[in-house]
Amino acid sequence: MSKKLSGVEELQLGDASPFVLSRRSLLRLSLAGGALLIGAPGSAFAAGEPKAGGTLTIGADADPIGLDPTTVTAFSSYDFTGLIYSGLLRWTADMKIEPDLAVSYEVEGGTTYVFKLREGVKFHNGQPFTAEDVKYTFDRILDPATASRLRAQYEIIKAVTVVDPLTVKFELTGPDAAFLNYLATNPDGAIVPKGLANIDTNPVGTGPFVFESYQPNQQFSLKANPDYYEDGLPYLSSVVFKFYKDQATITSALRSKAIDMTWLKDPRVAAQISKTSPDLASAPGQTSRTFPIWLNMKAAPLNDVRVRRALSLATDREACVQTVLGGSGKVGAMVPESHVGGYDGVSEFPYYKYDPAQAKQLLAEAGHPNGIDLGEYIVVAANPLDVACAQILQQQWQAAGITVKISAMETAPLLAKWSSGDWPTLLSVALSWSPDPDAIFARLKSDSAFGAGMGMADTALDAMISEARAELDPASRAARNLDIQKHVADNAYVLQIYQYPLRWELWWNQVQGYAPLAANTRLFVRTTWVDK
Amino acid sequence: MTRVVLVRFAWTAAILLGVSFIAFMLMRALPGDFAVAAAGTTSVAPEVLEAIRRDMGLDQPLISQYLLWLGNALSGDFGTSFVTKRPVLEELPPRFIVTVQLTAVAAVIAMVMGVATGLASARLRGRVDWVVRIYNGLILAVPNFVVGTLIVLLFGLYFPHIPLFNYTPFLADPIGNIGSLLLPAFALALAVSVTISENTRAAVLEVANQDFVMVARAKGLRPRTIVANYLVRNALTPVITVTGLQVASLLGGSILVETIFAIPGMGQYLFDSITSRDYPVIQAIVLLAAAVVVCVNMLVDIAYARADARVKI
Repeated sequence: MSKKLSGVEELQLGDASPFVLSRRSLLRLSLAGGALLIGAPGSAFAAGEPKAGGTLTIGADADPIGLDPTTVTAFSSYDFTGLIYSGLLRWTADMKIEPDLAVSYEVEGGTTYVFKLREGVKFHNGQPFTAEDVKYTFDRILDPATASRLRAQYEIIKAVTVVDPLTVKFELTGPDAAFLNYLATNPDGAIVPKGLANIDTNPVGTGPFVFESYQPNQQFSLKANPDYYEDGLPYLSSVVFKFYKDQATITSALRSKAIDMTWLKDPRVAAQISKTSPDLASAPGQTSRTFPIWLNMKAAPLNDVRVRRALSLATDREACVQTVLGGSGKVGAMVPESHVGGYDGVSEFPYYKYDPAQAKQLLAEAGHPNGIDLGEYIVVAANPLDVACAQILQQQWQAAGITVKISAMETAPLLAKWSSGDWPTLLSVALSWSPDPDAIFARLKSDSAFGAGMGMADTALDAMISEARAELDPASRAARNLDIQKHVADNAYVLQIYQYPLRWELWWNQVQGYAPLAANTRLFVRTTWVDK
Repeated sequence: MTRVVLVRFAWTAAILLGVSFIAFMLMRALPGDFAVAAAGTTSVAPEVLEAIRRDMGLDQPLISQYLLWLGNALSGDFGTSFVTKRPVLEELPPRFIVTVQLTAVAAVIAMVMGVATGLASARLRGRVDWVVRIYNGLILAVPNFVVGTLIVLLFGLYFPHIPLFNYTPFLADPIGNIGSLLLPAFALALAVSVTISENTRAAVLEVANQDFVMVARAKGLRPRTIVANYLVRNALTPVITVTGLQVASLLGGSILVETIFAIPGMGQYLFDSITSRDYPVIQAIVLLAAAVVVCVNMLVDIAYARADARVKI
């Protein structure tokens, strides 16, 4: 097709040539973090008499991808399933388990759990909640045809039996310390109504809020569930999520009070914004995310433990916490602090000391006296924190004679590489909070697809992980989990740099009664009221 | 003339077919797919990913996937969004209207700014001319998403009470709708206004040297009359053409501007769909945008031929 600018072209004079139409290439925007501000502002919880009514407007950074708790895989969906559905158990604000749809449970012989269910609970469509729904939910999860991501973690369930309408029995194949944690997590333990189709787009649960409407990329509206079983809750009459895809936009929307609350990804930006007004409450949340470097140990040079230890010794973790996170985080290990046996960021771990001289010596022993080039270090381009940390690590490692080339990649292809074990040497994908540390350790087992992808072949570690999951006593389990992490650090299977809150939550102080969770779902909207 | 128009339509169909094929293959050439994008960083077993792919028909050979899509599209079925599980044809129209509104407001802003600065630099010469041309050069070098981000940040910091992010639907409040589109449209219009300004300047200079203007001057008409009746009227024809041809860059610009200002239009939808690899939606939007650009170009050509007897199509 010919584009004729004929009229214009004939008009050209010596000094009056029009600009050529320019084509602009698409660039991914990332919010450049502002000035470095160190220190976390305290959160402000004002006390007062809860008020019923009102609307809470939340700024969300991602749309849900599906709303059926059994089949969702995207973190962005959890925020919505967390308000619509409830499970047998739930987390308290300080990450303890308490009853929800169950009123109590008994354990028999460490492998059989009998739950007594709450009476008079109804689903949003009026259908009464019974043991049948519990059985239906878990049978559906365990059915391979459903292709639920939850099947793997519930494989330990042998059978779910309806004892009577308000009693349900779970029989496990062996003792499992992770089982209750999964049940208490939303969406992993969310109960769906028996025999109802299309809950992916028209969700129906027993939770505090009822799904009202959803316009993709614009807003997601919920209204209070009049039949919710907790007396007087929820206080709010409606909750509206508004979607802003850009971190700069979400920040400005909060400042202009277009939204009452939101969360930010960059702790430095969040710290800065929270200082802009005394009426902003902010809660850094609990450490729930770690920044690991996954090593490909299937081939040289990283199949040599000395090279891996050298890499660990050449890493100044504390410096990364200070520069990248502005101090809003801690040194990390496999399991974040908010978990059973999580690492506190202070105790000495093997090869955690920053010692470039010893790193050089280890490299020389491994046959690299003149340093080593590890090639590509792949990071998520869309996460500015990850990229910043990778750049700092690159400089630190250089001091010990280790050279890497940073390759920032789009998320989808990076995840494809990561899950298939197809990366040259180093790759970083942050690990977020999961209901139980076992989900994190499972990646290190030599018989898991992921572990095989990394080149794990440590049968002693496999046994330690299985034993820890079967340990029902929390104190002993914490000790075991800590041992596993020490073992991982000692062999430098994965390099963990720091741990930090996945999201930093901010809200205007007219929002009261809210508490952030390490799980990073906004479950406590159910106890929130708005004082406008 | 009829034959010419028919040939045009045949070309249009061929172009759209080519665009749909290229867009399809380009998206599939990107590493990663919907299953992986949806799974995010949560640990999902490979067999779960496989099941999602089977569900979406992503395990078929590429060419048969394309032919299936094409067959459905020709019968008016553009499939279902992977993310929202709703028919694409239901999702698109309201967003398309929003983008049309945004680009229309942007086109008006670009016209007003472009014609004003172009006219000023052509008529006043000297220092004004220099200022305008330097300004044009600078503005053309600044991408619209940078302008947009700066507007968002500055207003967020210094005028937090101005409701920047409350996009108002037209039917709810027509005035508020235009108001909520002003700043994003401005960000979108800046670069286009420069092109219009340069073209206006060139056209006015060209027309000013024509005989009929000399005659008008000689007759002693007032300068204002000459500018209004002779210069602007004759110089605007090419300017309108250029504006029409800029629709493509306005549509392209809307992708990031809508994303930054949280405007629920087609551009933002495309950005999101590419990120989440929502193939059916990407296909439909790319096709629609290509159709709009092709049609506008065709209309501009036809209108030009009608307006100017010297042009043959």
